Amino acid sequence: MVTLNLENTAWDFKDCPPEVALLPLVCMEPHGPHLPIGTDGLIMSAIARGVAERMSRSTYLLPVWPLGTSGAHLGQPGCVSLEYQTLWAVVRDVALSLHAHQIRHVVVLNNHGSPLTTTTRPQGNAVVKTAVRQLNYETQGLSAIWVQPFAAARAAFFEIFAAAESDLHAGEIETSLMLHLAPDLVRAGAPDSVPASPPGYLDAIPFQRLSPAGVWGRASLASAKKGGVAFAAAVGATVDYIEQTFAALHGETQTRSVG
Amino acid sequence: MLDAAATGGDIAAARPQIAVLGIGAVEQHGRHLPVGTDFLITRELSQSVAAELDAWLLPPIPFSLSECHGPMEGTVWLKPITLAAVLRDVARSLEAQGVRLLVILNSHGGNFILEPAIEQLNRELTSLRVVLPPEVWAEVPGEPPIFETGKQEVHAGEAETSTILYYAPQLVRDDRRDGPVTAGREFLDYTTMDRINPEGTWGYPTRANAAKGERAVRARVRALAAFIRQAWATLVAVQSQATT
Repeated sequence: MVTLNLENTAWDFKDCPPEVALLPLVCMEPHGPHLPIGTDGLIMSAIARGVAERMSRSTYLLPVWPLGTSGAHLGQPGCVSLEYQTLWAVVRDVALSLHAHQIRHVVVLNNHGSPLTTTTRPQGNAVVKTAVRQLNYETQGLSAIWVQPFAAARAAFFEIFAAAESDLHAGEIETSLMLHLAPDLVRAGAPDSVPASPPGYLDAIPFQRLSPAGVWGRASLASAKKGGVAFAAAVGATVDYIEQTFAALHGETQTRSVG
Repeated sequence: MLDAAATGGDIAAARPQIAVLGIGAVEQHGRHLPVGTDFLITRELSQSVAAELDAWLLPPIPFSLSECHGPMEGTVWLKPITLAAVLRDVARSLEAQGVRLLVILNSHGGNFILEPAIEQLNRELTSLRVVLPPEVWAEVPGEPPIFETGKQEVHAGEAETSTILYYAPQLVRDDRRDGPVTAGREFLDYTTMDRINPEGTWGYPTRANAAKGERAVRARVRALAAFIRQAWATLVAVQSQATT
């Protein structure tokens, strides 16, 4: 189907009104000694393009919103973070301006997420779940959903990556994706570091304190080949999630009650 | 344990380092459970956990983010910003008097603003840290799962009904209707409970009994106390590292 983006004219939108808009949003934060601070944005722009191209409805692919909530990395060089209220307002404003010109379906691609979570609870940019909920509760006729590609593809990721169960940040997964998408930007010497603490401690203790190596996972296991397979899986699973979710919401037929 | 019966002098003398704040909800729970189910659960759980830790027990917050039930009767909700503001005010008043750890015991699954709000508070506060323990029902190590349908439960199912059958059996009505919803639980982000199942349940209340409720409550209190002790030890270690 048709994909519209920044390169289209307003008249293209009039001729072929998009049914769905994709808002990719990421974080800008340090990713260990070996990956660039813009890692999330680089990965997401490729995934978002892949998703937009495979959608079965005409789709407006918005540019990647570059900043998220990176409180656990605040104060580290390269980190630019928003407060959660700010990110929430960005999601709301974008969705409402789309709604004003009759785009009724909005998908927030909420950073890449992690196979350690499911599609029910975001890892990173946690406020997006609340932002999407409130849009749905408060805006008649708007249907907003959110998805994290690595969580949508979690089953495949557990097959592809040897250390998926300990991969939270700049580890085997992100490093493999970067080796696939932008190998020139990956430096040598990717470290391994798996803190003993539960990831939830990051809400109270800075990342640097829990893992001074700047990595949470086993980056040394990364390869471009794993990255290529994982990229395809993440795009495919994200498209499936979006299409199945909108189909279910339209039917609202998932409701059965046994008396 | 200190609670609302303590005087200001009692608090000053005891100088509590840990405080426990339950967050409940007032919302529809099908035909068989009272609207105050979440409030009741968090009140009892926070009492047990505070006693276990000899902490300061605060009265639970009765309302939270129940807008996900839509227009179903009996439901009262706060907006996310309101709950975050309440939490911030409570944390600041505790920090001002020397409390160092505020434990949030959340019994309503829809309160997703808590994580970002707590993360932000922990950067704003100086000497107090706020922790939100995992909200899952604990298992007994080496034993089969307490609830047969725990993984499919979102609302007023086997686990919640068993818990109320244990805490307050007189409040549970006989008309229990299962809600075998197959959608992902994030569908409550996209639509409201009244449209997902007009019976108001998402789970299997017909499988509930008081014995399961009792085992689950005991396991959860143990798991929560262990999590909080570990978090407290880690925070103390990190803060002493920071000052050396």
